[in-house]
Amino acid sequence: MTDSNSAENAVVIERSFRAPMDLVWQMWTDPEHFKEWYGPDNATIPVAELDLRVGGLRRFCMEVQTPNGPMRMWFTGEFREIAEPARLVYTESMSDEQGNAMTPADMGMPQGHGVTTEVRVELENVGGRTKMVMTHVGIAAESPGAAGWAMALDKLAARLDAQAVR
Amino acid sequence: MATATDEAKLTETFAALANSTRRAILARLAKGAATVNELAEPFDMTLPAISKHIKVLEQAGLVVRARRAQYRPCALDAARLQDVSSWAEQYRPVWESRFARLDDYLARLQPQGNDRSAR
Repeated sequence: MTDSNSAENAVVIERSFRAPMDLVWQMWTDPEHFKEWYGPDNATIPVAELDLRVGGLRRFCMEVQTPNGPMRMWFTGEFREIAEPARLVYTESMSDEQGNAMTPADMGMPQGHGVTTEVRVELENVGGRTKMVMTHVGIAAESPGAAGWAMALDKLAARLDAQAVR
Repeated sequence: MATATDEAKLTETFAALANSTRRAILARLAKGAATVNELAEPFDMTLPAISKHIKVLEQAGLVVRARRAQYRPCALDAARLQDVSSWAEQYRPVWESRFARLDDYLARLQPQGNDRSAR
């Protein structure tokens, strides 16, 4: 997409569900529902804690079966905006079991690379179905170095685009 | 798991980009292919040091090297860099599969609701 979203490095997905808005809202906010759909097919969500208030903690665990046995990944974040049942905004980072978010260095990423993401969910009733627009944004850390790095990369990508057109 | 592999690849690419010399090499290659000697020219560095940086870029899939020519010129692999420049897009298939599961789950939760809307 070439709208403002591309500048903030986002993926936007629009879907329509055959369900009322309040039920779709619960899918994101009720831990028991959330556990049922969020993980990939070969994964389960054994733990999900969703403290549904602004600033409230989100924490969950995804368990994946591997040849070496089950592997657990933890995620943490907080709710930023709650406007039931129309708009939900939360952050998410990979974390350890105690909920300490991993730093870019922990993940082998350059300083300032966005390892925190923000997810926005917007729901709307359209003819008895629920239209959902989900926006997943990567948040770059706010260090001058990070900004410079991102800009350099953008410039390089733009140059490549220009070459590809030729 | 495909997404875990994608994640690992992405991490490797970001690690390769986390170095100003390597980014300068990429910027030079964006203008066209070059030999290791040509790439080394602007830097106050030994050839082996430059070669090491190129190897990191190669492993991350950002640079490809010709097999046949004796001097093996380096070229940019633009596809990889474009992947990185829109890394959020990599999450699209992850979300698509989640929402497919959500569809199924919603259908299980409200079988009558489905009948009504089908009528």
